[in-house]
Amino acid sequence: MSDSERWAWWTLGVVVLTIAAYGAFVAFLGHGPATSSVFSMLAPTALPRVSRRHFTHVTYDERDKDIGRKSVRAGLAAFWLAFGGLILGIEYTKGWLGTLKLPVWALGELLMWAAILVLAVQAVTVIALYRGVSRV
Amino acid sequence: MSSREPEVGNNIRRLRFEHGEMTQDQLAKQAGVTRHTIMALEAHKYLPSLLLAFRIARAFGVPVERVFEYHG
Repeated sequence: MSDSERWAWWTLGVVVLTIAAYGAFVAFLGHGPATSSVFSMLAPTALPRVSRRHFTHVTYDERDKDIGRKSVRAGLAAFWLAFGGLILGIEYTKGWLGTLKLPVWALGELLMWAAILVLAVQAVTVIALYRGVSRV
Repeated sequence: MSSREPEVGNNIRRLRFEHGEMTQDQLAKQAGVTRHTIMALEAHKYLPSLLLAFRIARAFGVPVERVFEYHG
């Protein structure tokens, strides 16, 4: 297994744990700033890429870089689709002249969900491309 | 030719065999890539860059057209 694949599996694990913890917090505490703190669990997704091993032992060849670029593109495409869908969905449900009142923590959570989406799509794309789902 | 057949084929596996059963790891080191990339090439799951194609050909000491074939 390549280092990029290891990162992808690690990231997927962290994302799944974060979502599970978020669900548990919402069930017991409801929505709010305390529940938002669960998103700090995402920080370990950066560990494989800031580790000593990464800077001393890991080598990326052209295929690794190609897969990396494609996964970033897939993650950002998913983000823009979700962003566009959200805006259009709000317009559709609230109407053109509708207004939206949101607590500030909800905006923060929205940002974190966007990060989760990008990370998850990136990780799944890396795994799929290494497994040869399509020719790189 | 079926649509799933790769347009660019390669003879890497055969050439490794002809070169004293060179291992994938040895070829990877000579070409400056990981063994995973050699595996992907042999499984026709990856199209290499021109630079890598020449490096692999040089590792075998043959012209690039003996390693890669265009079926288009």
